[in-house]
Amino acid sequence: MTTDAIKAQLTLARPLRRKAAEGIGLNSAAGHLVMVLLSIVCLFPVYWMVATSLRPANAIFETSLWPTTMSLENYTYALDSIPILRMLINTLVVSALTTVVQLLTGLLAAYAFARWRFRFDSLVYTAVALTWLVPFQVVMIPNYLLIAQMGLLDTISALILPNFASALAILLLAQAMRSFPKEVVEAARMDGAGSWRILWGVMVPNLRGTIASLAILIFISTWNEYFWPLLLTRTADNSVIQIGIQMFMTSEGNQWGPLMAASTLASLPVLVIYIVLQRQVIQSFMKSGIR
Amino acid sequence: MNRKSFLLGALALAVSTPVLAQMAPAIDQPVTITFYNYNLASAGLGGQATQNLIDEFMAANPNVTVEGVPYSSADGSRIQADLAAGLPVDLVQTVFSDLDFSVTNFGAKALEDITTDGELEAHMAGMHPNGTKLGVLNGKTYGMAYTFSTPVLFYNADLFRAAGLDPDNPPQTWAEVKEAALAIEEKTDAEGFTGGITGPGAVDWLFQGVVRSNNGEVISRDRTTLKFAEPESVEAVAMLRDLYDAGVYENYDYSGAMEGMASGHLGMYLQTSALQGSLVSGAEGNYELRATTMPRFGDKPTRPNNSGSALTIHTADPLKQRAAWELMKFLTSEYGYTIITSQIGYLPLRPAIVDDPKYLKDWIAEHPLVEPNLEQLDRLEPWDPMPGPNYRQVVKTMMDAVEMSIFGGADIEPTLIDAQANAQALMP
Amino acid sequence: MAIAASAPVQRRRINQARFSPWLYLAPAILTLVVWIYWPLVDAFRLSFFQWNMLPTSPQTFVGWDNYQRIFALPKFWQALRNTGIYVLGLLPLAVLIPLALAIYTHDLSPRLRNIYRAIIFVPMIIAPVVAAAVWRWLLDPNYGMVNALIEWFGAEPVKFLSDPKVAIWTIIAITGWKLIGFSTLILSAANANINPALLEAARMDGASKWEIIRDIRLPLLSSSVLFLVMMTILLGAQWSFGYINVLTGGGPLGATTNIYYLLWDFGFSTMSVGWGSAAAVILFLGFGALAFVLFRLIDRYSFHDN
Repeated sequence: MTTDAIKAQLTLARPLRRKAAEGIGLNSAAGHLVMVLLSIVCLFPVYWMVATSLRPANAIFETSLWPTTMSLENYTYALDSIPILRMLINTLVVSALTTVVQLLTGLLAAYAFARWRFRFDSLVYTAVALTWLVPFQVVMIPNYLLIAQMGLLDTISALILPNFASALAILLLAQAMRSFPKEVVEAARMDGAGSWRILWGVMVPNLRGTIASLAILIFISTWNEYFWPLLLTRTADNSVIQIGIQMFMTSEGNQWGPLMAASTLASLPVLVIYIVLQRQVIQSFMKSGIR
Repeated sequence: MNRKSFLLGALALAVSTPVLAQMAPAIDQPVTITFYNYNLASAGLGGQATQNLIDEFMAANPNVTVEGVPYSSADGSRIQADLAAGLPVDLVQTVFSDLDFSVTNFGAKALEDITTDGELEAHMAGMHPNGTKLGVLNGKTYGMAYTFSTPVLFYNADLFRAAGLDPDNPPQTWAEVKEAALAIEEKTDAEGFTGGITGPGAVDWLFQGVVRSNNGEVISRDRTTLKFAEPESVEAVAMLRDLYDAGVYENYDYSGAMEGMASGHLGMYLQTSALQGSLVSGAEGNYELRATTMPRFGDKPTRPNNSGSALTIHTADPLKQRAAWELMKFLTSEYGYTIITSQIGYLPLRPAIVDDPKYLKDWIAEHPLVEPNLEQLDRLEPWDPMPGPNYRQVVKTMMDAVEMSIFGGADIEPTLIDAQANAQALMP
Repeated sequence: MAIAASAPVQRRRINQARFSPWLYLAPAILTLVVWIYWPLVDAFRLSFFQWNMLPTSPQTFVGWDNYQRIFALPKFWQALRNTGIYVLGLLPLAVLIPLALAIYTHDLSPRLRNIYRAIIFVPMIIAPVVAAAVWRWLLDPNYGMVNALIEWFGAEPVKFLSDPKVAIWTIIAITGWKLIGFSTLILSAANANINPALLEAARMDGASKWEIIRDIRLPLLSSSVLFLVMMTILLGAQWSFGYINVLTGGGPLGATTNIYYLLWDFGFSTMSVGWGSAAAVILFLGFGALAFVLFRLIDRYSFHDN
């Protein structure tokens, strides 16, 4: 009501603006329509994955929206042929550790860039950014040799080590820290806080939104990582779920049913984690917005 | 494994054994060998059957531990990286097109050099002579044909009937393929024909067989000169181009063809018989899947070549060589080929087991699809690997030009001549 | 700023400023040097050699041969042009639509906003191989749902992946489908971080919603937008790589190949270190130069909010 009143006042005062305001009203219906369509585009393939995973082998190419005959045979087959649970746990461990470590190294490095001007700072910053442009394939084999020298082949640590730091984390956090109000940092320093305490006591709590969304991004991209684990793992038990999924795709034809079943099982944990964290992210956005 | 002791051991061996030494006569102490196998990289029957064979072998040879290492056949980077890292690579399932590179770079050993007198001949007795020559390079046997197959023409018998064709008399020549495909396109909703000749993952195996069946060849017998721009080859490509121009040869995307066939939307599909398993699972209960031999050019008999892999021994350690050889013998025994044929989906190199009730007789009766394959064994020729360090680029250059010639509207002869010159420059 | 700082404090801070940044940077730099820069420097050297990487084999110096061969690839220029098409096609999907979404959903009720954003983000969770497989399925001319829909409207089925004219847009759409969520998240975060006081002040001044978007939100979002534009231009070729690899292998007739895929196909996947290294150097220097130009442009034209 009050907003309506304000709106009325505004439209009264500036007749020209009324058009725009009405436009928004009309647009909101159209807007919802677009959003619903977009949601269908985003969700339908996922639904199709689940639906296909429930179709028996000879009905796999059916186009009925709902599987006419349902069976869990793809799931039992997938669970029988690869150690899915073990792979999921491995993937979870790798993704979680990578996320934490990348955030840590990212926070520290970003803080250095945001806080100080130092000799070669822009050079180092550029060098960090440029790592993004290095094709993964060129570092893959040398990294493999290094891992072999360290005696870490076929281990979980080998999957994490080369991902201890990422340009994405460093650059995004540096950007966020640079736009952080300098007066707050200055005030903390006046209070006698050292750089370490300013980072953890002032910066980090205020960057929760950025950190949370970054964490999601790192987690998901690690979860979906494929080429490096493919080269590295030698036994299914030390492997990650993406490799498990790939095992159903062969040059002699893809085993679609089990592939979709394994994919569904692989996507579920991320989906759940995301739904839980999504709320966290929004909340931290709110908090950082209010401050 | 303790790297240091391994290196010391390797050093000691290098010092104490003369070059080209033969393998140990027997396995008198525990030994571990690695077996790089791409079937192990996939879930399901192929991988499981391979693991079972390995396990059975270990049970029968308690002194030998076989460590199966999965790798992707699409690129050999795992093998390359492991060799570079100094890890032991003992026995490898090598795709035939990689055989030359495997010999010159990965140290695959000639079986004549490492086996003791008569052993190789004794093991090869009973094998189809066309099969044993597949792994021969420069006069020596480097690879023992392991999981391999031939091109067959899969066809959808239901679509044949719907198009007024006789499924009992499937097309045998390319002209008949065109006729049948036109009928299918006209009278049904389905596509007429496609083949796995070009496209990613196809490499050049099927193309080699098609060109050869027109009495041409893509590379000279001594493997020094490329010949895919010669008239016979141009004619073969022109024939395929004609199929495309007539609207019956669909240029499918990567797996589109396979699924088109499996889902019953494609009349005929020329592809490796190794696809049989996945096609059958799509066809079951939906349509009748049949297979016939690869089409020929007019009266010329076809000269199909194989796809698939051979086993190669890479270790220089006499004891490991013995263990690898014993495993190789087991995998290519009557029993081994029985499992390979019935569970992994490839061909038996020992023709006698096909009629032997102890091995494949019953299975073949239940799986008539494999028959055109067996028939083609008698005309089988090797899939020639391209030589030199740039062999993969040679294949790609050739196949890109072939694809452009068939589907891209390019002038066939100049395109192939140009590509041949480019590719020849990459040859050693 | 630090008017009150006395001399000794100043000196301590200078000392600190000399060492502290490096301490903070150490873990990240160490990782990047060991795992990325070291191999890259080696690749520069190896790009002039022919080698199969095995310690037992010689490294043969071949000069510029590897580079010449790559530039002589018949598909090189086609791939370069396609790379441009990929970037142009991805920009709306990776930047414009997410920008609209971030701004639009921001003003919805919290519940609706969360639901929409959660849904848009879902594609990102799906593993690339799986996304490729499912889309291939949906787009199949014979049994795909999308074509069933198209036929239902009375149109001819589209050969999304085997028609050379259409295939590249199919790959772009799938790549974009996976990206929208990521971009929307970045932009939503930036949008939510805009100081509400600024917006309130504008509202008090009687600015309309559109004016607020145009005069306040968009300028304040410009750094995030530029960041995404940069990422799309520099990494678009890499993002689409997985889908090209699984779906088309660069075909039909090279229509979907881009520079990254082509160099992978002829370089990295062929076990010859020289080709692969030369390919890497070309990619790195090429995109590095592009990045340099872009950064200069951004420096010159971007809006500085502080």
